[in-house]
Amino acid sequence: MSEDLVIKNECLNDKVIVILSGEADIYTSSQLKDKLYELIDKNKTDIIIDCNELSYIDSTGLGVFAGALKKAGQYNKSIYIRGLKSNIKKLFTITGLDRLFIIEE
Amino acid sequence: METTDIIELSLPFKPEYVSIARLTSSAVASRIGFDIETVEDIKVAVSEVCTKYIKKGSNCANHYKLIFKVFKDCLEISFDCQDKTLKCIFSQEDDGLAISIINALMDEVKLCSEDENYLLNMSKKLEGKV
Repeated sequence: MSEDLVIKNECLNDKVIVILSGEADIYTSSQLKDKLYELIDKNKTDIIIDCNELSYIDSTGLGVFAGALKKAGQYNKSIYIRGLKSNIKKLFTITGLDRLFIIEE
Repeated sequence: METTDIIELSLPFKPEYVSIARLTSSAVASRIGFDIETVEDIKVAVSEVCTKYIKKGSNCANHYKLIFKVFKDCLEISFDCQDKTLKCIFSQEDDGLAISIINALMDEVKLCSEDENYLLNMSKKLEGKV
């Protein structure tokens, strides 16, 4: 019933790009968490999350992003978020998460 | 306030059906004239409440209910369930992100409904159509 979340990843120089498309909600957030944590632990690099095709995120998905940022911090790495749609950027602003992540246009 | 229409939706406590709540709330809000951005706000707030109920779950109920009340100048959305232990379950400690989102996006939010018939109420005014 819920729109799937498709997660792809590719390497760019010393960073890993995670490309999300679909919806990150309570139905898909465990899938997102597993993949992000795996990539952080395996690569120990900065992560770029490409959200150009992400149509929806809820507090569960935002919580996964925040957890991933904490995990990346254990390796002194950062998470960059790019391509946020206006409706999703609004949620980052409301929750104050825009101040924690490096958000690129 | 005079209610014109009431739309009810009953959903199982399963994550895969939260998108049905989003689609329904979008459809109702759009149908009564909210702009696209406000429709999105209402959808997000409704989804946050559903997500909380699913996380909490219930030992004695299989479904929870969304009630959309369409007023002339306002959309009121209430939540109900046979399991009244689901009332007042939002806590700042566990649900800070969700509470921030719901409060920011809706005009009036009662996380503990004053109406004994409901668990939670929230509403959005229909600007320009008063």
